[in-house]
Amino acid sequence: MDDPTPAVDSPIRAGPDDAVDVALAQSGDTQAFERLYRAHVGRVFSLARRMMGPETAEEATQDVFVRAWEKLGSFRGEAAFGTWLHRLAVNLLLSQRSRLGRDRARLEPTDDALEHRSGRGPRPELVMDLETAIGRLPQGARQIFVLHDVEGYKHEEIGAQLGIAVGTSKAQLHRARMLLRSHLEPQAKERM
Amino acid sequence: MTDRDPWTARLSEYVDGELAADERVELERHLTICGECRTIVADLGRLRDLAATLVDREPDRDLWPAINARIGGEPRVLPLRRRWAFTLPQLAAAAVLMLVVGAGGAAVALRGNGPTTVAGPAAIGPVDPAAVPIALAASTSFDHAVAELEQVLAERRDRLDTATVRVLEQSLRTIDRALAQARAALVTDPNDAYLNAHLAETMRRKLNLMRRAATLVAAS
Repeated sequence: MDDPTPAVDSPIRAGPDDAVDVALAQSGDTQAFERLYRAHVGRVFSLARRMMGPETAEEATQDVFVRAWEKLGSFRGEAAFGTWLHRLAVNLLLSQRSRLGRDRARLEPTDDALEHRSGRGPRPELVMDLETAIGRLPQGARQIFVLHDVEGYKHEEIGAQLGIAVGTSKAQLHRARMLLRSHLEPQAKERM
Repeated sequence: MTDRDPWTARLSEYVDGELAADERVELERHLTICGECRTIVADLGRLRDLAATLVDREPDRDLWPAINARIGGEPRVLPLRRRWAFTLPQLAAAAVLMLVVGAGGAAVALRGNGPTTVAGPAAIGPVDPAAVPIALAASTSFDHAVAELEQVLAERRDRLDTATVRVLEQSLRTIDRALAQARAALVTDPNDAYLNAHLAETMRRKLNLMRRAATLVAAS
């Protein structure tokens, strides 16, 4: 992970002061780096929480920013700092996944058919449920779901990142979606 | 849909528009006769939309102290509870500090004649040579921020007493000289690590001084 320059745009956008603070941080100014941290910690922490789970998200977030500090010299301003940081975070989180090799309780898919919901927009409790359900997905399916459906990566990019075939990425995404579907729908019904 | 339904595993690809045209036509024909697959397709589409609405949130506790410790930063002084008020003596102190920066800038302009030790007001950490063009690249953002602050100060300068305005303008002139010297030196030596670090530090000091002055006029 020498140069985490992103291949795709991420939703992260640089703040107006990022360029100055990046330059200052590159010169050793930790206060400038703290400003960068505060501007981007929510994005990085949310990514870590979804990919690694809530138990290790804080530690992983710290690791990302420490790594960013160490790698600031490789940032040349070709992309927005936030984009660069996001790709660095994805790379680091994926490598930690391999190192930790942990798995979680799996959601078992069911064959229960779902009733059609007619709601226009997502209900807040469903959004919360989805965050919880993502955390309960098997590791591989979870990370592919987060990268594809939340972060907007394409299967080709995910395959390259994880060293897996595009077909495998598609299959894992479908598995994740089906598991989430089976998890979310009974809870939605209970609230009716 | 049955366990042997060949389309079951392809429904996400259909929702994402990734099926080949002939496969899509065939699946849509299947959907006309398979209510369960229709339901799954609708659910997967909603799930995908729901995922796009997830919002980021910050951690429950501040992670910066631990990060700061790991990168070797200075422990942060706890902020005062009272909102910090900028006074004339403080502004003058900042101006004196800027004069020191100006002296550093003058030395920068002369350092081409040989090694020069500059007693700057703050220690500048080691600089990665690969990063040095960044300070110049940041100049556009810096100039934009300065222009906005200058506008604020120009509109409200009558709220400051004459002595404060004089000290502020004198300090800013000193800083501007240091900036000009550093930028001129970087034209001939754009990869000089010290010059880039010095320019970045001087930019930050000017922004800080102007922000504090803007805070002062806003509170007046």
